[in-house]
Amino acid sequence: MSDQTVQVLITEEQNPEEGRGGGSIWGDAFRTLRRRPEVIIAALVALFFLVVALFPKLFTSQDPQHCDIADSGIPPQGFGGAHPFGTDITGCDMLAGVVYGARPSLLLAFIVVGLSVLIGVTLGTLAGFYLGWVDTIISRAVEVFLVIPLLLAALLLLSLFHGAETSGVLGSILQPALVLTLFGWMGYTRYVRANVLETKNLDYVVAARVLGASDLRIMVRHVLPNAIGTVTALVPTAIAGVIGTEAVLAFLGIGVRPPAVSWGILISNGSERFAAGSQYLLLFPLGCLVLTVLAFVILGDALRDALDPKLK
Amino acid sequence: MGRYVLRRVLQGILTLFLVIFLLHLLTTFAIQLNGNPALAFFGDRVPTQAQLSAVSARFGLDDPCYNQLGNPCFGPFVNRLKDYLSGDFGTNLRGREITSIVATAAPNSFRLFLVVTATWLVVGMFLGSTAARRRGKVVDHGIRGFSVMIDALPVFVMLLVYRYVITVPVYTWAKKQFGSDSFIALLFKPSFDSDHPMITVIIPGILLGLAGSAAFIRLVRAAQLENYNSDHVRAARSKGLSERHVRVFHIVRNSSIPVATAVGIVFTEALAGAVITEGVMNIYGMGGLLWNAVRDSDVSLIIGIVTLLAIVTIVVMILVDLLYAALDPRIRYE
Amino acid sequence: MTDLVVEFSTADGVVRAVDGLTYSVDAGRTLAIVGESGSGKSVSSLAVMGLLQSPPARIAGGSIRFNGTELLTMSRKQHRAYCGEHIGMVFQDALAALNPVYTVGWQLTEALRARHGFSRRQARTRAIELLDMVKVPAARQRVSEYPHQFSGGMRQRVMIAMALAMDPEVLIADEPTTALDVTVQAQIMTLLAEIQAERQMGLILITHDLGVVATVADQVTVMYAGRAVEQAPVLEAYGSPAHPYTKALLQSIPRLDRKGGELEVIPGRPPDLLAVPAGCPFHPRCERAEDVCRTGAPPPVVELPGGRSAACHFAQEVMTDA
Repeated sequence: MSDQTVQVLITEEQNPEEGRGGGSIWGDAFRTLRRRPEVIIAALVALFFLVVALFPKLFTSQDPQHCDIADSGIPPQGFGGAHPFGTDITGCDMLAGVVYGARPSLLLAFIVVGLSVLIGVTLGTLAGFYLGWVDTIISRAVEVFLVIPLLLAALLLLSLFHGAETSGVLGSILQPALVLTLFGWMGYTRYVRANVLETKNLDYVVAARVLGASDLRIMVRHVLPNAIGTVTALVPTAIAGVIGTEAVLAFLGIGVRPPAVSWGILISNGSERFAAGSQYLLLFPLGCLVLTVLAFVILGDALRDALDPKLK
Repeated sequence: MGRYVLRRVLQGILTLFLVIFLLHLLTTFAIQLNGNPALAFFGDRVPTQAQLSAVSARFGLDDPCYNQLGNPCFGPFVNRLKDYLSGDFGTNLRGREITSIVATAAPNSFRLFLVVTATWLVVGMFLGSTAARRRGKVVDHGIRGFSVMIDALPVFVMLLVYRYVITVPVYTWAKKQFGSDSFIALLFKPSFDSDHPMITVIIPGILLGLAGSAAFIRLVRAAQLENYNSDHVRAARSKGLSERHVRVFHIVRNSSIPVATAVGIVFTEALAGAVITEGVMNIYGMGGLLWNAVRDSDVSLIIGIVTLLAIVTIVVMILVDLLYAALDPRIRYE
Repeated sequence: MTDLVVEFSTADGVVRAVDGLTYSVDAGRTLAIVGESGSGKSVSSLAVMGLLQSPPARIAGGSIRFNGTELLTMSRKQHRAYCGEHIGMVFQDALAALNPVYTVGWQLTEALRARHGFSRRQARTRAIELLDMVKVPAARQRVSEYPHQFSGGMRQRVMIAMALAMDPEVLIADEPTTALDVTVQAQIMTLLAEIQAERQMGLILITHDLGVVATVADQVTVMYAGRAVEQAPVLEAYGSPAHPYTKALLQSIPRLDRKGGELEVIPGRPPDLLAVPAGCPFHPRCERAEDVCRTGAPPPVVELPGGRSAACHFAQEVMTDA
């Protein structure tokens, strides 16, 4: 069930129209999920923000970059007015900011986690499967990278890149994506390595080997499918973690950078204006961030449960 | 036991060497890609060539290898190692020794971690054990929900909300009610006060500790559950020992082994959290220094502090391994 | 123990693991409880000690008396404390049942220190005494070693010593030799028998190994699907089993004196306790089952001469057949 749940999410990200339909392929997954209402709500919230990130135009007609200083500091007007969430000090529409800010935050999270899983699974499989010097090198690397916390590494490296020019959404998240990936793969490697060690001596794998299957085939067909389950449970929680880290980096001015908008940038701006009576400037982006993170954390928790039912 | 300690310490030194080398490689490539960080020294001014090379020389960035992309710069690495060995971690942009800056800041970080550790122990151990003991009951579900909520609130968000939404009104009220030097007013002071270093780190420390305690709660619960159903606990009960005795000497004691191994990982996370906490709450500690160094683009200070924190982490990891060996005789007599 | 009923509530319904079990053991005598896995033999012993996890387990009826003291009406706390004093228990897997983080000596005397206020020195002396009693060589050194430093047989001896620490009047040994090598099994059984004779203890030996039973037990109780299907003195039970299940069990023992013969097996599988067959639970596997066995209540326990009993409609016939 766990694999399917994440696949549901991933598919939803690519084709949101299909995901909602709940066709026969996903029938099983949905039936299992229906037992836990909080998981459904979390999935819907995550889905909602994914749709926002993919199709911001559905939710606002304003351009977050087009700010009229004459409209500066309008408090929230509700959904009838021109600026439902109000405007900030330079007159930028807050709703547009929050809507367009979803994309860099979520894109960064998916890129970082996707790449980390890819690297982690590959290295973990190689290390667990071949052992010997391959394992020595990979395990030692894991140990070394683990000593430097993700955030510290990001602070160091991104500060060095401070002056570099960037352009476009992808350009502005490229640096943080690379750095966060560079220090984000170790957990998966450890889990997969341990899992491969366990799986590779199981009878059916030994049987495949005796029958002359190639190493690659054994790894891909027999060993990996087992390991994927463990890793899958880590994915939603990791996504939530990257979204939070992005906010910190943006707050320090070394993550996604203006003129691009991200939740982190809005939070950073909003906290400066907080004391001046414009609380909503902080609370709207912060609320979106917390909701998204909460949704992914609940999904991760449900997956962990499904994979390790003895702890229930 | 002696050999085990020796082996772990030697391994730790090797890891430390590799970590320093990794940091060196990464900064080198970043400089080669991105240009001389000494430029930051001049802020918005455009320096003359002579000024720039003088500053570069001071920070050890004058080696030509920094202009050759892909060159691992072994020469400067050896120099840096020598400096580190003689206790020289460089200077910040204003020329102050990093070691002397850190010496004044470290005690505050230590105070913060004292509070953090206490929170881990109290919240993590207590809630984790309670959840395990009342497995499947309402309390268990409540604690589980609590740990999920903690996970959903990154330290950063918690602190922002605390600092901007909670402290201001509470502090104003407490100041009016009890005076600005009263315990309650200081407790809720929105930023660090170097005259009252301990009181003003209590709440930030608790918040940071809470963030790490979610992992602890889950871990303690899982580890204890495994023991609740184990044969040795059943055997202990068959001896007629009280349930309390069994819990303390067999369940808590045995489950402390897996919990101890996780302390290392949680510690590195807390280190990152400390940077955020000290940054947001203006605490003058190592993390606060780093936070401000990032804001000022003081690369030399950043490298120095990150290296020092890496050393601290390795020391903690070695200590955790020794603790592990002390707790588990099976490791000791390997 | 009379009419003990233990139920487990599971996700698929309530399971009766022990259903109306009655047995007793006297000082200096050995009772063997024999049955397949899942027949309720271990569960009943855990019920005696107050060690069942509840929920899911629940003692739904019956009574357990020790020297006239009813155990089941006690609070769980009293129950365990009482059993700790009077009944010792030896578990199947000594490696799992000994705590890996404490020395053997510590564990041997844990209860003495916690409940009888022994000092460290007294405890150490007593621990060495106990190890000597179970014939662990070099007890003086080994007392401060950890369980993982012992071999399997030695660990089981430690386990026995631990059960003897409080000078119990009854010892329950739950498959004490299953996890061991065959040669070591014999040594452990001999040791148990010796200690029992020496101290005039009651011994309840839970096992599925009928060979073991023949050599040490006085009385045997055969369990099937949570019920005692036959209770008899060992020699009688072996010579003329009164229940078809006992008979089948005996026929499935490999025998050295009947070379070349085919080993008999009991057809079918132990019943699913969620769906115990109506009538006699053994009827689907019984070679002489008739219509009366297939319906209604399980067959009543029939008293037979010689202090024996069996739960079979044809007990007399089975007995004379053999």
